Amino acid sequence: MEFEAIIGLEIHVEMKTKSKMFSSGPVSFGEDPNTRVNPVDMAFPGTMPTVNKQAVINAIRVSNALHMDIDDTVIFERKNYFYSDLPKGYQITQQFRPIGSNGYLTIETSNGPKKIEIERLHMEEDTCKQLHSWDFSLLDYNRAGIPLIEIVSRPDMRNGEEAAKYVEKIRSIVTFLDVSDGKMEEGSLRCDVNISLREVGATKFGTKVEIKNLNSLNNIQKAIDFEISRQSIILEFGGQIEQETRRFDEGSKETVLMRVKTDAVDYKYFTESNIAPIKLSKEFIEDAIKTSPELAETKLERYKSFGLNDYDSNLLIADHDISNYYDQGVKSGCSPKLLANWIIGDVQSVLNRDCISIKEFKITPENLGKLVLLIESNKVSNKQGRDIFAEMVNTNEDPEAVMNKLGISQVSDEDELRKVIIEILDVNEQSIIDYKNGKGRAIGFIVGQVMKKTQGKANPALANKIILEEIGRR
Amino acid sequence: MNYRNLSITELHNLLLEDKVTPLELVKEAIKLAKEDDNNAFEYICDEEALKKVESLDSSKKNNLFYGIPVVVKDNFSTKDIPTTASSNILNGYVPIFSAEVVERLEAQGAIVIAKSTLDELAMGGTGTSGHKGTTFNPWDKSKTRLVGGSSCGSAASVAKGIVPFALGSDTGDSVRKPASYAGLVGFKPTWGRISRYGLFPFATSLDHVAYFTRNVSDAAISLNVLAGHDDKDFSSSFKEVPDYSKHLTDSIKGKKIGIIKGVVNSMSDKDIIAVFNKTAEGLKEKGAIVEEVEIDEKLLKAIFPTYVIISCAESTSNNANLDGIKFGARVEGDSFEEVMTNTRTKGFSRLIKRRFVIGAYSLLRENADELFIRAQKCRRLIVDAFNKAFESYDALIAPAAPSVAPEFAHKSDALDNEYLIADNYMAYGNMGGYPSITLPIGFKDKLPFGINLTAKPFDEVNLLNIANAVESVTGLKDLVAEDR
Repeated sequence: MEFEAIIGLEIHVEMKTKSKMFSSGPVSFGEDPNTRVNPVDMAFPGTMPTVNKQAVINAIRVSNALHMDIDDTVIFERKNYFYSDLPKGYQITQQFRPIGSNGYLTIETSNGPKKIEIERLHMEEDTCKQLHSWDFSLLDYNRAGIPLIEIVSRPDMRNGEEAAKYVEKIRSIVTFLDVSDGKMEEGSLRCDVNISLREVGATKFGTKVEIKNLNSLNNIQKAIDFEISRQSIILEFGGQIEQETRRFDEGSKETVLMRVKTDAVDYKYFTESNIAPIKLSKEFIEDAIKTSPELAETKLERYKSFGLNDYDSNLLIADHDISNYYDQGVKSGCSPKLLANWIIGDVQSVLNRDCISIKEFKITPENLGKLVLLIESNKVSNKQGRDIFAEMVNTNEDPEAVMNKLGISQVSDEDELRKVIIEILDVNEQSIIDYKNGKGRAIGFIVGQVMKKTQGKANPALANKIILEEIGRR
Repeated sequence: MNYRNLSITELHNLLLEDKVTPLELVKEAIKLAKEDDNNAFEYICDEEALKKVESLDSSKKNNLFYGIPVVVKDNFSTKDIPTTASSNILNGYVPIFSAEVVERLEAQGAIVIAKSTLDELAMGGTGTSGHKGTTFNPWDKSKTRLVGGSSCGSAASVAKGIVPFALGSDTGDSVRKPASYAGLVGFKPTWGRISRYGLFPFATSLDHVAYFTRNVSDAAISLNVLAGHDDKDFSSSFKEVPDYSKHLTDSIKGKKIGIIKGVVNSMSDKDIIAVFNKTAEGLKEKGAIVEEVEIDEKLLKAIFPTYVIISCAESTSNNANLDGIKFGARVEGDSFEEVMTNTRTKGFSRLIKRRFVIGAYSLLRENADELFIRAQKCRRLIVDAFNKAFESYDALIAPAAPSVAPEFAHKSDALDNEYLIADNYMAYGNMGGYPSITLPIGFKDKLPFGINLTAKPFDEVNLLNIANAVESVTGLKDLVAEDR
């Protein structure tokens, strides 16, 4: 028998908004447990939800990137169930009217591009984090209420590679839109896989198994590939697939049983009436989309239009923070090409040397842009630029200030200065005649003209020397 | 001096004239609260209140509530003061924040002297189901009659003259019905007019902050303090807050008032109907146009079952936070499931569990169409019918209850029209979020009974104007149980 796998994914993305989905409690990651909590997050009696506007904007932006229909009415429902990690005894979610619906994504696979349809995208809130020990459990309410978007694909994927590519693309979208860190290993992007097998050509779906605890793209692929072979063997021998939830075990690289699914839980959904339906104006939605940060593809196109080659463009895009740094730097008006060279070369080598990320890098993109401008306008040479850079790495001082400090503030380039002086002498023949006739003062006039032309930046001693040399030649 | 039947304004004037100090007023109120024999209080804020009097900012003495003792129903969160909603499951819970309305009152200089009893978690209409037992009607010396609920303790404390103002909450008629039984003004402004932040939710879409006073003018000046948007309550209105006392005494000439005929028709007590009709005549004499309004009897009879389904359904989820995990009286167990089950089994009374079962049952997937969703559709029909009536009338009126305060032993026939309509119709005010007010119009067997007036959303100025006219027709205000 030959089987095909039917795979659908549910992805939860934690948003990095300032405050929580329904409270003014701060969103944080990695802080001490239970230090980022307010009464709403703990579900103290009488507390009420308020809606985080930025979370709505984020959801619109991701929906748009996934080519979805965007509902202009925001309504929330309560999903009712009891669990130790659920402070209110219900989760506020969007069951009946997800903000985004009917979208798709095109992924690049080893068999060419493939379109994956996406059923829905909705907003909800995270639960608190649990830490289980052998005879007790600890609860961390820092996570309770962090805004989530859940993205549910249609069962369009057929193997582990497609699923991994799909998740990778979603991750790129949410990180480039500044919606989330998208860190699977830290749980800010979580993925559940639904997978069933059926004989090739069959129209009926097989029994669905859910896989949880997938914390990397690699594991998604491995878990699915393992699950396909596990289920194939069972079916091959005439067995039946149980409807169950499994988790991926990193050690054995296998999926292991978590629990057998009995009848689906009845969540008794009904409207969250503390939040009256919010009508989003056309302008609000359009504005959210218009002001949306760029997606990776759009950036790539833009970088290419700067004259960057594919290799350099992709290097910049590979790290969202670096590409943001680059974009900030470009705003200074410097040459994008030159700036890219600096980031890929000198900046990257400092990052590697000091084992730091671009976020920890001292020089701000604005200042790096200014430095590139100085080099571009020949105010300093490339070599001088490197000296200034070396100083800035420690201080993030303004490059011009460093230039002055290092005494390379003047035009000390002989060739450049000579060019200026020749030009000035060419139009001041009378002064040359005067000088030659013994009027020493005439030289002072020429120096004055040089200073004027170089905006006072010429080295006076050098200028004097060159003037005398040039007059001597005439 | 006896301050018991004085209005907020009268007390305020005494304070301004230095004839009494805030400390004296508060001490007197605390003394009366301690002497109370109606089981009106969950907690008397003896020390807390005196401390707050000491820290009063005398530059605020021109505020009407400055130095005025008030009572707060125990389902409003009060910082550092135990708050149990008269339920065992919240024994030991001391909130870390105060409800917005409590903060607003305190900002004006009001002093909370006690937290009052209620039907457990505000679910009930008798004032008998709280964990401290039955609350009695101060008008009945034999202690055989209820004061009504769920805001029983707040009603009793104002009726007894302990304070001139008490906060309550009204989800079906929990302030407006006790007001009728206790000879008080009970006022529930429009849904969204007053922030609910800090009010323990019972049924979110029906819950209102409401309160008791002994006259209409006090009800108006209280709203001036309580109304207005609160960022913490997403459902609170941004609408401007007018001066609610400004048009109180305006003429009601030409105002159109509709008598809800079906309510009166369902009643059997001829004496109450007679007084009600006489009151309506009085309004006519003041120039109002008073007519009977027909609301489909089927809809009137549907109000109560619709209310039961929606309120029970919403209450299951609103009280799901009470699980022993985060606060309240935890009962231990071997797993979190056991802790939750044990806590809730022990913490809630049978009546509460009954409501949760009804609510959960009506929300189940296989029942929702027939129960919860049907109730929501029915609510829409009811509200549509009343909205239509409000197109033609400035206010709708009817007796607030078909009888004076019943005896505890009294049993109603649950399928009788009087019970289904006259005893329970006021929940239409919660379904439509309408401003609605009850005030006394007469006595029978030395027990008070009232009238209810309801208007369209955010029409409080007009409603209070008409209520004030009723008050001047009957002459019944500032009633205190002791005096009779």
